[in-house]
Amino acid sequence: MSLTPASDIVGKKPGRGLSGLLLVAIPVFLVCWMVIWPILSAIWRTVWIRNDGGTGSSFSLETYQFFFSDQYSLNNLYVTLWTTAVCAALLLLICIPIALYLRFSTGKLAAYVQGLAIFPMFVPSIILSYALIRVLGPNGTVDLLLNAVSLPKIRSPYLTPWGPVIGLVWDNIPLTVLILVSGLGSVSNQSIEAARDVGAGRIATFWYIILPRISNSILVAISFTVLGLFSAFTLPYVLGPAAPEMMGPFMQRTFRDLNDPVMAITQAVIAFGFCIVFGLFYVRSVAKNRAP
Amino acid sequence: MARLLVEKRTDWVGIGFAAVLSIIIVFPLLVVFTWSVTNVWRYPSVIPQEFGLRFWQATLARADVWSSITMSLTLATVVTLLSALICLPAAYAFARLDFPGRSILFFSFLAGHAFPKFGLLVAIAAIFLQLNLIGTFWGVVLIQLVGTLLFMIWIPVAAFQSVDRRMEEAARDVGASPARVFWSITLPQAGPTIAAAVLLSFVGTFYETEGAWLIGAPQIRTMPVLMISFINNQPVIQYGAVLSVLLWIPSFVALLFARRVISSGSFARGFGA
Repeated sequence: MSLTPASDIVGKKPGRGLSGLLLVAIPVFLVCWMVIWPILSAIWRTVWIRNDGGTGSSFSLETYQFFFSDQYSLNNLYVTLWTTAVCAALLLLICIPIALYLRFSTGKLAAYVQGLAIFPMFVPSIILSYALIRVLGPNGTVDLLLNAVSLPKIRSPYLTPWGPVIGLVWDNIPLTVLILVSGLGSVSNQSIEAARDVGAGRIATFWYIILPRISNSILVAISFTVLGLFSAFTLPYVLGPAAPEMMGPFMQRTFRDLNDPVMAITQAVIAFGFCIVFGLFYVRSVAKNRAP
Repeated sequence: MARLLVEKRTDWVGIGFAAVLSIIIVFPLLVVFTWSVTNVWRYPSVIPQEFGLRFWQATLARADVWSSITMSLTLATVVTLLSALICLPAAYAFARLDFPGRSILFFSFLAGHAFPKFGLLVAIAAIFLQLNLIGTFWGVVLIQLVGTLLFMIWIPVAAFQSVDRRMEEAARDVGASPARVFWSITLPQAGPTIAAAVLLSFVGTFYETEGAWLIGAPQIRTMPVLMISFINNQPVIQYGAVLSVLLWIPSFVALLFARRVISSGSFARGFGA
């Protein structure tokens, strides 16, 4: 989809500009009020702090200093970075082979694999959390099966940092596969056959022919993962340990339970900072795709 | 040689993927379904001691379950209607009218997706705190409404742009009024895609958990929020299992409708791939 040049589609009539603006006014206002204003306001409120006496405000970075000197906050940040990195790596490791298979196969079996890979999109993450607890949790189904064949129980990933990793990877498989398959669509069969003809093996073909052409898709997939995971809430909240917790649950607890909105938005701004590169890259690649 | 190439080989790789994905994707959901139709399942037994629908009755007799179902349906309906009301005219304007700042306003709807979502929700919540919107129905409506904007504008814009302009002009030439043209020509052609966008925003809103939890809790309790409290505090496993199955129904409906849209590949391109 692209925004076609307006000159092609509109007779130049006076007054149309105004009615166009009026029609888009409410959604644009909502974006300004509920996206752009909160972000600017969050940055403003965390650097322009009210003085202790409540008399006036002044520039101060004390909430950021607190965050970066508080071991508990830092641990939460580390576990978030660790989870994001591990999930991104696992997703690529799992999804690139699936996407390659889907690109070069046809038939019923490939359709079935594609259906399964996309299916998690239709499983809300809260149902997924519940299912993973029932399967991998203490005395879950895996324990039942192991016990039935007289093997010891697993060390359950539930309430450890691996719990959210498993859930988040499961949840993000569909989009990653779709993005990679779409990227692989631009690799022509001829280029691969040509490489095969001159004797390139499977790995060489992948490394020198396919990978350079899907590198942009891989970057998009990574950006998507980072943006989605860095402040994931539901899965880490339900499956993860109480401490250290990921940034999502940490912000929620600071905001609701500790009743400290300024510290919570400080954490949010820090999360924005870590994701800004990925966010800009994502917007750029979507915009490039949709430009006329 | 040529015969060798067309000769059908067993697709071991495909069988491997199919088997592993079946176990990883389908098995956990089957376990939940089994729990929901189980009356008694004590630890060392691999299959339940007693199947039955006792906990369906017990779950459906709970007042908190019904109030959460009502709340979720009300919220999703209100948000979807409001979203359609403000977004569809805007989409029409973006597709058909020229006005200053058209491109930049069109892409401004991406802004909400360039930031980690929960961080943005916390920033919004801090503003809602000053406006006393925390814990209110309309606070949750607003936050969920913002989440639907991108889909509800971008998808209908594509729908309006794909309508055949020549048919509209032909209708105008034989004297149809603009309203009549819109109603009889434009809407029927753009309708199916717009309906898909509406369905998408209804289902997306229905499952929206994080905004509802951050802004609405504890007063506004939707089904996903109730599910979180079942996971955290409910010792009877079957309640959560039954609620999961109930909760999955809208997704199942969406699955039936969306299959064709998603496998066509244009869906992924929408994400910038």
